[in-house]
Amino acid sequence: MIVREWCMYCGECAGVCPLNIIQVRELTLEFDEEKCNNCKICVKACPVNALEEEVV
Amino acid sequence: MLETDILIIGAGPAGSMAAKHAALNGAEVLLIDRKSEIGSPKRCAEGVSKDGLKRLEVTPDPRWIASEINKVRLVSPNGTDVLLDEDKVKLSEVGYVLERKVFDKHLAMDAARAGAQIMVKTLATSMEKDKDGIIVHLEHMGNPMEIKAKIVIGADGPESRVGRWAGLKTGLKPGNMESCAQFEMVGVDMKQPGCLELVFGSVAPGGYAWIFPKGEDIANVGLGVLSTKTDKTAYQHLLEFVDTYPGTQKAQPVELNVGGDPVAGLHKELVTDHVLITGDAAGMVNPLDGGGIISGMTGGRIAGEIAAKAISDGDYSKKNLKEYQKRCQKEIGDSFKKYLKAKEYLLSLSDEELNSIADAFNESDFDRISPTDLLKVLVKVSPKAMLKLGKLF
Repeated sequence: MIVREWCMYCGECAGVCPLNIIQVRELTLEFDEEKCNNCKICVKACPVNALEEEVV
Repeated sequence: MLETDILIIGAGPAGSMAAKHAALNGAEVLLIDRKSEIGSPKRCAEGVSKDGLKRLEVTPDPRWIASEINKVRLVSPNGTDVLLDEDKVKLSEVGYVLERKVFDKHLAMDAARAGAQIMVKTLATSMEKDKDGIIVHLEHMGNPMEIKAKIVIGADGPESRVGRWAGLKTGLKPGNMESCAQFEMVGVDMKQPGCLELVFGSVAPGGYAWIFPKGEDIANVGLGVLSTKTDKTAYQHLLEFVDTYPGTQKAQPVELNVGGDPVAGLHKELVTDHVLITGDAAGMVNPLDGGGIISGMTGGRIAGEIAAKAISDGDYSKKNLKEYQKRCQKEIGDSFKKYLKAKEYLLSLSDEELNSIADAFNESDFDRISPTDLLKVLVKVSPKAMLKLGKLF
């Protein structure tokens, strides 16, 4: 997942992530990419559109 | 390895109340927060009821009260407004708009004065069960640490990771998480002092927009939407609202806040062996208005008391902690059920229906509006109100 610069680390993505794999720090957001199944619920829930799926 | 009786994860109002009351009841308490400053950035509109603070025995302090509220203006999509003041209705939400940055710190200080230890900039990264406690992995300023606690209280907000690590089902579907965006603004034109404004309809699909005054021309201007009901972000909706709402045309932002608000009602399971959850993490948010400060603090206080009792019992089992669940259900959860119904009804209304309801209110000449009167007005406009709300009154 690409976390854009304007992410505000509010944690809404972590709350709706069905797999509980998003770690919200004060100024970083970490995804456990290996477990992510690309459901994109976090992308849609973000109040500022700061998440972008990484196209491999 | 560090050890403590009770580890509380998250120093918002719920976590700090839990820490204070656990410490007052004799337990050894460590309260941690992932941020460098407790209370900042705020993630809410900052409204609380006076009654609520009183019940929690928190004495109002001018350092964290921005303004007093004594009326509410409900605004329909076409701008028709219904003013509710104390002459008209019994307002349970008469209260204060807080300065959360000061308030949250004040509550953490209260916890410290009661004997709790506090660590800021300390993140819980995972936890595992041990034979007589829980080992929590922490990170503090780049240093990994481990701590063993007899009881862990998860007050980690809408992220709610602690509960899920412990096997509690606290994750939320996106249809139950309001996505919120808010500006603190100056130059807001408010019709009356001390008046909350709530704006309904398609300005905020799945939620509503609010103006919470913090000063003569200062206010929190925000809204909540459901990501399942709109393709735009909460922030995009906020920009459009501020641009079109009469009171904010000339206002300028000095702060932006965003965040999720869990509106599914109280979670079914709040305890398991060695673990309790409280506050937003436990769904202690009024599903109708999205307010969760007082209910979270209420839950936090109960969590602190029950956890401290379990420590003195020497019994940290789910069975012994179950009392927490019962008290939260009674003191918080039961009242949420009718608010959930009311929310469902409100979300089912179209802009046109909302406009007609506002008109019907203004045409009726109540001296005081009782819940039955309210229902009569609603049924006149939309018969489905009886079906959806009839049992509540």
